[in-house]
Amino acid sequence: MTTENTQSLENILSTAQTLRWEVGIDFHEKVTESIYTDAARIADRATTRPEEKPRFDFDRKLDQILTSRVWGFPLMLALLMIVFWLTISGANVPSSMLATLLLDTIHPLLKGFAATIGMPWWLDGFLFDGVYMATAWVISVMLPPMAIFFPLFTLLEDFGYLPRVAFNLDNMFRKSGAHGKQALSMTMGFGCNAAGVVATRIIDSPRERLIAIITNNFALCNGRWPTQILIASLFIGALVPVQLAGLVSSMAVVGIALLGIFLTFASSKFLSKTWLKGEVSTFSLELPPYRPPRIWQTIYTSLIDRTFIILWRAIIFAIPAGAVLWLSANITIAGTSLAGYLINFLNPFGLLLGLNGVILVAFIVAIPANEIVVPTIMMLTVLVTGANGGEGAGVMFELESGMETMALFEAGGWTLLTAVNLMLFSLIHNPCSTTIYTIYKETGSKKWTWVAALAPVLMGFAVTFVVAQVWRLVEMIL
Amino acid sequence: MTTNTKDSCETCPIHDAAALKKLGVDMSDFDYVVALAGNPNTGKSTVFNALTGLRQHTGNWPGKTVSRAEGGFEYGDHKYKLVDLPGTYSLLATSLDEEVARDFILFGQPDVTIVVVDATRLERNLNLVLQVLEITNRVVVALNLMDEAKRHGIQVDERRLARDLGVPVVPMVARQGEGVPELLQAVGEVANRKTVGKPYRVKYDSPELKKAVTEVTKQIENAYPELPNPQWVALRLLDGDERIAEALRKGELGDLTHGDIEKRSAQLQVIGNQ
Amino acid sequence: MVNPLFALLIAAAVTVLGFYVFSPERGLFWKWQHTRELSERVLREDALKHIYHAKNASVESLAGALSISTNQVADVIEGLQSLELLEIEVSNFKLTSDGRDYALRIIRAHRLYERYLAEETGYDEVNWHEKAHQLEHELSSEDVEALAQKLGNPTHDPHGDPIPTADGKMVYSEKRTRLANLELDERARIIHLEDEPEAVYAQLVAEGLHIGQEIRLLEATPQRIRFETGAGEHLLAPILAANISVIPFAEEPEKELEVGLPLSDLEIGEEREVLSLSPRIRGAERRRLMDLGILPGTMIEAEMESAGGDPVAYRVRGAVIALRKDQAAMISVSAEA
Ligand SMILES: Nc1nc2c(ncn2[C@@H]2O[C@H](COP(=O)(O)OP(=O)(O)OP(=O)(O)O)[C@@H](O)[C@H]2O)c(=O)[nH]1
Ligand SMILES: [Mg+2]
Ligand SMILES: [Zn+2]
Ligand SMILES: [Zn+2]
Repeated sequence: MTTENTQSLENILSTAQTLRWEVGIDFHEKVTESIYTDAARIADRATTRPEEKPRFDFDRKLDQILTSRVWGFPLMLALLMIVFWLTISGANVPSSMLATLLLDTIHPLLKGFAATIGMPWWLDGFLFDGVYMATAWVISVMLPPMAIFFPLFTLLEDFGYLPRVAFNLDNMFRKSGAHGKQALSMTMGFGCNAAGVVATRIIDSPRERLIAIITNNFALCNGRWPTQILIASLFIGALVPVQLAGLVSSMAVVGIALLGIFLTFASSKFLSKTWLKGEVSTFSLELPPYRPPRIWQTIYTSLIDRTFIILWRAIIFAIPAGAVLWLSANITIAGTSLAGYLINFLNPFGLLLGLNGVILVAFIVAIPANEIVVPTIMMLTVLVTGANGGEGAGVMFELESGMETMALFEAGGWTLLTAVNLMLFSLIHNPCSTTIYTIYKETGSKKWTWVAALAPVLMGFAVTFVVAQVWRLVEMIL
Repeated sequence: MTTNTKDSCETCPIHDAAALKKLGVDMSDFDYVVALAGNPNTGKSTVFNALTGLRQHTGNWPGKTVSRAEGGFEYGDHKYKLVDLPGTYSLLATSLDEEVARDFILFGQPDVTIVVVDATRLERNLNLVLQVLEITNRVVVALNLMDEAKRHGIQVDERRLARDLGVPVVPMVARQGEGVPELLQAVGEVANRKTVGKPYRVKYDSPELKKAVTEVTKQIENAYPELPNPQWVALRLLDGDERIAEALRKGELGDLTHGDIEKRSAQLQVIGNQ
Repeated sequence: MVNPLFALLIAAAVTVLGFYVFSPERGLFWKWQHTRELSERVLREDALKHIYHAKNASVESLAGALSISTNQVADVIEGLQSLELLEIEVSNFKLTSDGRDYALRIIRAHRLYERYLAEETGYDEVNWHEKAHQLEHELSSEDVEALAQKLGNPTHDPHGDPIPTADGKMVYSEKRTRLANLELDERARIIHLEDEPEAVYAQLVAEGLHIGQEIRLLEATPQRIRFETGAGEHLLAPILAANISVIPFAEEPEKELEVGLPLSDLEIGEEREVLSLSPRIRGAERRRLMDLGILPGTMIEAEMESAGGDPVAYRVRGAVIALRKDQAAMISVSAEA
């Protein structure tokens, strides 16, 4: 650049600077006004509107119901309930069919094949009992619920219901010192917390965005439902007559999801009263018109895109986890396996929380993917109890029937308290590693990443601890 | 799918959907970069999917897309890289998703910018269109959601609009793929400079603005006669936009796309340190 | 197994102790951190600022402004002199040019940070000054420049004070004058509200006064100052009114000063014209509302209430936009349909 040019540039900049003092504070306003004046004129010339405003169109009527004081919240709850109930009860049959196929039919075939070609026991165990079983378990437990949940959710999304949820919930978010659009990132979090964290980008204010990022973990992501669903059906559904079991267990799962929402509000409020202090900023959200969803396309794309992509991720993580588990259960030092040492070490602490060492180890193993919590627990329980319900040490499996699984858990010293606390801890613990990494990328701050990762674990400890101690106290008194 | 009956010029590729080759994520050796801008929830990602064959997520709420997505298509003899952007109400962005969009439109130097507008909320959408037209004349306006406009009895005269805005306007129903061939043709012509827009320029008439804007614009015109958008640069300088001043200093309004997300993250840290 | 009662008691004790030590702003840990921050440097910087602003600063006025003893002031002055930031001419304090630059840097940090608090954080405005007063000593000059750039190099702080530029320029408008100096019935625009002392400022805020507001003087006597804004009529003691600075309009504006209705008062189904957006809607939110097309002259209709009662959706230029009530309260619409 020539010096002459530089000269004139500096001149321009200083002219601009001087004029800025003069134009004053509403420069921006004047600019926008000018643009809108022209936009309105051009739009007006190009459009012809109907004479009469249609007063009673469909959108308006529907909105009056979906956002009404009386029906707004009950309808929201009912929809949530229906979605979960369809997911839980609809997934039951295909899940067990998949399990029968993958675990009871194909697995023995593979083992038989290994035996015929004379594979060494460790390779056979590592591949088919470790890697294959982990994958098979994840597929049979995760695929059916996701294949039902995602299309349902996408239909609601395409219809235009999500912004109404944000609209209805904003009052509560406002009272918690958070932004109403957090409702949107929270709903995205029901699918996947990492996606939920990225979705917070739509929140204008950095303070409120940070709150939304940190609390997204309390939106129960799909990786954690299998745990919730399985434990709820085994322990809570079992408390009532068989006909009611499905309903009661889905209510338990919805209860946990609602507790998650409550914790979102509570921790948002806590953050905005302490480290992220500030008044609630403002909120503006455009409510789009309702649009009839294209059902087949939605089902197709949400199957392909969401279900298979997330399933793929789970499998990717399940394979190494299965391998590591198998190894740690089969490598022994002085007669005890590696996993055994860790379990014994954590057991006293686990018992204090109403859980046990096995569960804590499972949650550590499952940091990369929450999906594998339950199979890990079962495998490790076999290991410590020596019960021979399944295939042997280090094998991830699903037992054919609930009864057998129950028997296994009971052998591991489980009670109803263990089940309840497992459900609670599965809701309130650290986010998975992908989410943690996403949080780091989005905040760019190590400090907030640590907070987002550790605070929920501490909360989880606190909640399970209090529940366990109070539970035991009540038991003692009764 | 509509078939087009208008005469096509001799040099243009036969202009029907068959001339479109969706390339998915293949963006090798592209000739042109095309950006998809527009207000939130106007169907940008739907248009993106129709052109590239990808399945970028769409959803009926503003803010579905929060980061940039890229894909490729081939039309005529040229390969295009198409960039789907988050929706934005204006180029004076306020949230991070909008910043992503703004930065690409301003500094990504796309060869063509398609502004997808909602035909039922034209006035609000034109606010953005006019801002984009301040920066570049290589714009095609995709007048989407024509089916909804029709349902509400709103008629939009796209020729009138095209004449007023000074750039091509293509009516569309992106969800049904209607208008895709016309859009492709318009984009192709703008990219190949067969169509050169004469964009509408906003008149900053209020007494407070007029003097300041005219004065700075004049100085910029003198110093940088080759700059296509002196008035816009003047406005940005008057608004105290340091990045524009910096870009001028460096002698070009070059690629400043990078590093912005980090900057925004740094801001979260500032907050955290209070 | 541990006795549950015992376990709960221990946990409760640990919680209480943790709260006592770490609770934000009141806990021991925070107090300890806070006293550590009140270093020598902070005192020096505050002294520089005081001397820059005060017409004739003295040891006593410094002691008052920094709330320290006169002995401590002497130490601070000595420190400033040895750093060649301050000279003493015939018992008058005079900043050296370095000293002046230093003071302006601190003022720049202070005012930028106030602007930042106003636009980006939603802290209550009564707290801005206090916060900025702390942070001005902690921000590095890179931080300050990054902040300035992020905020779009603002020219004024939220109270209307000019922000010194990075190279130390600061322009106070020549037309700026005290409210009481206006002619009767003369119209003007508020351009500055003094933010110190905090109690006075809080009172002005409580009156609903803000920079940018149009104002008309109705009465000025030694006992009271009576004036009118778009929000209604105000009555202040002259000592309070002295903290308000205004710029008279160059020419009488055509439009009458219209007292409107807050948008939040509209019943569902009512449609009105937007008169103005209160200056209290700031920064990003102001830009957002304007981008959505909510501008003076726009027609706006209340469309529906949410289930929670609070955000209300309004129809604006064909779109439905939800706004919180406290926000809508700051948008003024015509009183008549
Ligand atoms: N009726 C109708 N609906 C459409 C049309 N184009 C898109 N849609 C729907 O409009 C909604 C928004 O579409 P998207 O493509 O996600 O919009 P977008 O502009 O990418 O939105 P953001 O990413 O949030 O900015 C979806 O529900 C689409 O199915 C159309 O031409 N007609
Ligand atoms: Mg999109
Ligand atoms: Zn101050
Ligand atoms: Zn100030």
